[in-house]
Amino acid sequence: MQQQQQPSNITRRHDPSHPHHHHQLTEEQQQFQLFQESLPKINRLVYQMLLNEIIPTSISVQNRLDESDDNSDAEQLKKLSISEKPVVPSHKLVSQMHEIKNEGRYNNILERIRTIGFKLGCKIADLLVFANNPNLNFRDMDLLAIMKFVCRDVWKLVFGKQIDNLKTNHRGTFYLIDYSYQPIKNFALNDDTNKLSAEELEKKELKSVEPFLELPVGIIKGVLEALGYNAKETICLATYIDLPNEDASHYGFSKGISFHVQVTNTTRQQQP
Amino acid sequence: MSSSAGQQQIKTLKVLGEDVWKNKVEKINSELFTLTYGTIVSQLCQDYDRDFEKINDELYKMGYNIGVRIIEDFLARTALPRCTDFNTTSEVISKVAFKVFLNLTPTIANWSQSNDAFSLIISDNPLSDFVELPIDAMKSLWYSNVYCGVLKGALEMVQLDCDVSFVSDILRGDNQTELRIKLNKVLKDEIPVIED
Amino acid sequence: MTIYSFWIFDKHCNCIFDKEWTIPSQPRSGTTNSKQNENVAKLLYGLIFSLRSITDKISSDPVDFLSQKNRIRSITTGKCRVHLFETATGFWFALMTDFKQDDYYDILNHIYKNIFVRFISLNYISPSDFVENEDEKGGQGIRKINNKNFINNLELFLSPLIS
Repeated sequence: MQQQQQPSNITRRHDPSHPHHHHQLTEEQQQFQLFQESLPKINRLVYQMLLNEIIPTSISVQNRLDESDDNSDAEQLKKLSISEKPVVPSHKLVSQMHEIKNEGRYNNILERIRTIGFKLGCKIADLLVFANNPNLNFRDMDLLAIMKFVCRDVWKLVFGKQIDNLKTNHRGTFYLIDYSYQPIKNFALNDDTNKLSAEELEKKELKSVEPFLELPVGIIKGVLEALGYNAKETICLATYIDLPNEDASHYGFSKGISFHVQVTNTTRQQQP
Repeated sequence: MSSSAGQQQIKTLKVLGEDVWKNKVEKINSELFTLTYGTIVSQLCQDYDRDFEKINDELYKMGYNIGVRIIEDFLARTALPRCTDFNTTSEVISKVAFKVFLNLTPTIANWSQSNDAFSLIISDNPLSDFVELPIDAMKSLWYSNVYCGVLKGALEMVQLDCDVSFVSDILRGDNQTELRIKLNKVLKDEIPVIED
Repeated sequence: MTIYSFWIFDKHCNCIFDKEWTIPSQPRSGTTNSKQNENVAKLLYGLIFSLRSITDKISSDPVDFLSQKNRIRSITTGKCRVHLFETATGFWFALMTDFKQDDYYDILNHIYKNIFVRFISLNYISPSDFVENEDEKGGQGIRKINNKNFINNLELFLSPLIS
């Protein structure tokens, strides 16, 4: 794809439509804040664990589906001992991804995670649109404004922090960069019998975390779909990028994530 | 059960739960939790072709895997030791655990004769907010089965082997949402194997 | 104050982590999960286990579980002191130090809350239970915590305390 200008870096810090410091809120804004504060709450950790558990569950579901495909007579026998089988721990399910040789199976699992993310993204967009936040005017938003919405409001809601950096070429290509993607920020692989070399360990670690990135990929596509950008005309891919502060890679997950979003049809299809 | 020492203990646990919830926990709107969980359940319905037994089982396993890990965060935050009796366990679950994680305080009810089983009556279940089940699901799906898995896993990590299951759910048209916890046995602490 | 070593035991009687600081002023010195420490680990486990069984028997019944059983907080010998911290899930954290401080509860609690829980329990690509089959239970396990985030954050936290 031709890029006629360098992707420009957009930081959202001084955007007047999004006050960070609460000195002079309009009455509407105050009311909105009070309303948000009065809504029932739960512990963020519970939510984060539920999000993370989507990945091993998607693998477990695939295992179950493959079992019953392989052997539908044995399926009846298996049904009897459903509750006796020990539960496979989450980290074991995740490490199974590394062993899968069958590309179809592997992709089915990623697809499942992405689909959940997509449905979630659609619902999150609806949630935020109908929240009637006086700071957000969806009707007037163009693609860039919507991407900023994803970076600020969607990310803050789901992950507790905003995207660190947004780059665009102003022609439908965007890079959303998160240097500490919350659900995985403390992940590191355990080489519990000390058999792997440093390179093997890093490689395995990055591969193990890949499935976790399909969820936010799906969420981004889902939000875009809900706001008028057809999923068939949108590409979203997640890749690892080096951290600006190399030291940080020793104390937390070693890479940042870059979400590359490409929207081919930059005209928004407004919902009636 | 209603001795003054018992009452004092219950009060301390209540205060502990409220303090941790109020001051030491990052909070999010529960509607996000509701819609995320709903998305997961509907995906399972699709994958398992509405075989609700499999779906209940998968939700339970999800919960179990969350429970065995989240217990550590719970203990680190509350510094609670192992309970001395099942009665205390019920109070810790109701007044501290549910409070710290979901800002709920389910009612403890229906103690068995031998004091080895009790129920939690959950009102305002965030998972089932605005959820309506289709008719086939109403007969066999335990929508919030993840809770059973979480409790099973967490209790197992503190050496309590329990059976946890739903008795009733308002989503199924029942009067209340009741979850039953039955203690099978206290697991013995391991001792080192003696090498010859 | 000087910290000589740090050990973690799990409910399967296994030592899942040990770190020894050989040069007190260098936090990154010493050994982690070394073979030589295996026997020391077993002896240390046995020591704590035996003393615990005794103190449990001689303590009177607690009126209220929150006041905690009569658990060992530290063991002092001629050359060092071992400070103990245990969780209801059966993890024991042991810190071997000099005599400068009586109580290391806050430090061990911090390690549990901010390092162990964060980088092990809530880490989905790490085990939360280090035993994979029956043969690894009862002190026969071989798996260790060998996770860079855990180790680096532990060293970072303890380094200002190692003089």
